[in-house]
Amino acid sequence: MRRGFLFAIGVLLLTAFIILNDLVDDWGRLSGGMENLSVFIQESMWPPNWSVLEAQSYPVCENKIEFFCSVGYIGMMETIKIAFVATILGFIGALCLSSFAAKNLMPMRIAFPFRTLLSATRSLPSLIWAIIFVIVIGFGPLAGVLAMTFYTIGYLGKLQYETYEGMPSDSLEVSKAMGLSHPAIFTSVVIPETGNHLLSQLMFMFEYNVRHGTVIGIVGAGGIGYYINTYLKLLQYDKVLALLILIFVVVILIDLLSLMLRSFVTDEGDVRRPKWLSFLMKLRKGDESTK
Amino acid sequence: MSELLLKLSNLNVGFSEDLVQDVSLEVRSGEIIAVLGQSGIGKTTLIRTIAGLVQPRQGSVELNLPEHGGLGYIPQRLGLVRHASVYHNVNLGARASLPWFKGSREERARRVTSAIAAMGLEEKTREPIRRLSGGQLRRVATARALAQQPTLLLADEFLSELDHTTVDVVVDAVKTLTDEGHSLVMVEHHEENVEMIATRIWLIENQQLIDMTIDEWRKKMEEEE
Repeated sequence: MRRGFLFAIGVLLLTAFIILNDLVDDWGRLSGGMENLSVFIQESMWPPNWSVLEAQSYPVCENKIEFFCSVGYIGMMETIKIAFVATILGFIGALCLSSFAAKNLMPMRIAFPFRTLLSATRSLPSLIWAIIFVIVIGFGPLAGVLAMTFYTIGYLGKLQYETYEGMPSDSLEVSKAMGLSHPAIFTSVVIPETGNHLLSQLMFMFEYNVRHGTVIGIVGAGGIGYYINTYLKLLQYDKVLALLILIFVVVILIDLLSLMLRSFVTDEGDVRRPKWLSFLMKLRKGDESTK
Repeated sequence: MSELLLKLSNLNVGFSEDLVQDVSLEVRSGEIIAVLGQSGIGKTTLIRTIAGLVQPRQGSVELNLPEHGGLGYIPQRLGLVRHASVYHNVNLGARASLPWFKGSREERARRVTSAIAAMGLEEKTREPIRRLSGGQLRRVATARALAQQPTLLLADEFLSELDHTTVDVVVDAVKTLTDEGHSLVMVEHHEENVEMIATRIWLIENQQLIDMTIDEWRKKMEEEE
């Protein structure tokens, strides 16, 4: 079993390398690449310029705490708001569609059109959705919300119906044999049984949408991406780095939030619910043990 | 005259090959049928075919049951929703026979409460399923069936893992149902349980299903001994 697994990994790696070799026409390009990157980071990006966390000169800051008037805060909050609304709307939309797309909940003749619809929604990246909505309704956060919502429906929908298809079949079979309706089976059996996965996917999608806010902002759909785009155009890479670090911190915080939320629906939650402090202390203990 | 609930006609069950062949039988209201036979001989597949979860390889299964919640099913692995409470699971049974457009929430709640009480699980009502013992889980599955009050209940080894006292409680509860005209088809291994509850036997041997009365089955057992 173990030997077979290692063999399979080896075959996959070899296949990947052969395909990569076919894609890359000149390996010589790699030489000097790291040196170029190092020069770029040292001369243009490092150290990060934290002035992005200070109040902007215009409009005049009326808040006592300067940070709340900074580019970093304003951009990040707009991105988080866009990501939050889009994730919630997308999650609910995906739940409705995915319940009809799972082949253990619906016959294939019904599931297939819904799977196709979800594939179509997913096949356009959120950046393209953003361009479409910027054309339709103009620049601003609404275009960002709509773009992310559509992409979220396609992406989460697929994750969700695959989760339903992977759930243990016995509770589903009993519900079907008893004659429970599709909505009753979905809300009372499927959602409780897959709650942990659904929450995990929801939090992942929120995190993904926050990260992707940087990209869709670049095409004018609002959020921190707008400022990143501005600094890129002005070649102020040190400010770009500061904003990227800010996004990284927010992503870490979302991950911790996900850990807390999912503890309510896992078996572990019965025994011990992780505390913020205990989680951070565990990280520190882990650091010490690796030294 | 008791009512016809289930009619099996020339039924062959199995997956890649027939496990049981040419079954033609009827189940009428008030009957308790024990399906017996060695492990792996096709008892569970027969039950699952009747429940509509496995396609018959040949023949037909005709059910004459109410549209909502007429058929109850307790599989070997019980099919409980693990990440939900005892009440939630038992309520599924009540919802099957009394959907929102047919019965009130109070009526369903009454059924659930009395089914939980009949199984002696009052103190576990809000407990998540994953915290219960094997015997308690079987009682929850039985309570779900009691709350549903199905006209025909299919049960796969639902008395195993239960102590004698609990078997008595479960059997009494099921007999209350059958006295009201409901029927039970159950897979069972323990002879004493069969003696206690069954009114007819379906014995599966050599791919054939033999329908016999309790007396005929006793006689056969004595001859084999």
